[in-house]
Amino acid sequence: MTRPRSNQATTPAAKPKLKIFNYDTAKIGEELGSYEYLLTQEMVNTFRAAVSDPEAAFPTLGVKHDATSLAMVYEDNVGGVNAGNEVEFFNAPIAGKKIRVTGRIHDKYLRRDKPYLVIEATATDEDGRLLEKLRTYQMKKPDEVGKKWQPAK
Amino acid sequence: MATRKIEVSAKIPTVTKHITQESINQFEACGILDRQNIHNSPELAKQRLGTTFPIASGRMSVVYATEALRKFFGPQVFNHTGTVNLKFLRPVKSGDTVTVTGEVSARQPAEKGKGTMVTVSLLCQNQNGDQTAVGVGTAVVP
Repeated sequence: MTRPRSNQATTPAAKPKLKIFNYDTAKIGEELGSYEYLLTQEMVNTFRAAVSDPEAAFPTLGVKHDATSLAMVYEDNVGGVNAGNEVEFFNAPIAGKKIRVTGRIHDKYLRRDKPYLVIEATATDEDGRLLEKLRTYQMKKPDEVGKKWQPAK
Repeated sequence: MATRKIEVSAKIPTVTKHITQESINQFEACGILDRQNIHNSPELAKQRLGTTFPIASGRMSVVYATEALRKFFGPQVFNHTGTVNLKFLRPVKSGDTVTVTGEVSARQPAEKGKGTMVTVSLLCQNQNGDQTAVGVGTAVVP
């Protein structure tokens, strides 16, 4: 279900076998996948077209650094719903530069009997410039909210 | 832009976007992994959410809020000191129109005496006036 797009991802040379994600055994502070990729002008253009903003400066948001870090380590057969995002911007990425991403599990908790997983990613470029920090709050029972969203027949 | 005095209750530029499955798919195509998910696959949306439609990534709303804040603070300020924190309340799907509005809610001295931290209350609404996301954005102005 998940594979690198051609000519974009520069993942670690030997791709490890993915583990099946288990919320109960996931550990706060656990490191997720670290990776590098080349930000191309084509990626910038695709992102700007997708969001209809020719000046959008952070195409990295479309790359979903944190979710990618998780997907490089785990096969997540349950999935989740994004309940929230926190992002800090430091420097806009530059097309033609490599971007290095590190990810980790920042937190996990139960709220109203629903399990939440907070994943975090930090991105720097090949020159060591800090670009952005991103956190995503994933609710790991997606069907719980999905049934509220589906209009009654 | 960045050196002007920003008053509490000042409004940021409104950003309105029409969402299509094409724009959702294009957003998903920005990733470095080729992944089927609840945004670009009706089958996975049905399997995992139980919905008959894929939903847009919440990150698209983050990007729209980022655009509104960048226009307000200016890229020289926002792209280096900005933050966005959104909580998603309702799904956004193809055919929806999302409007981001915001208002300055607070000003306070930034850490280390470097400028002023300006906080903006953010609201994303769909074409029916339903709130799809709420949150705050910040930036440090000189």
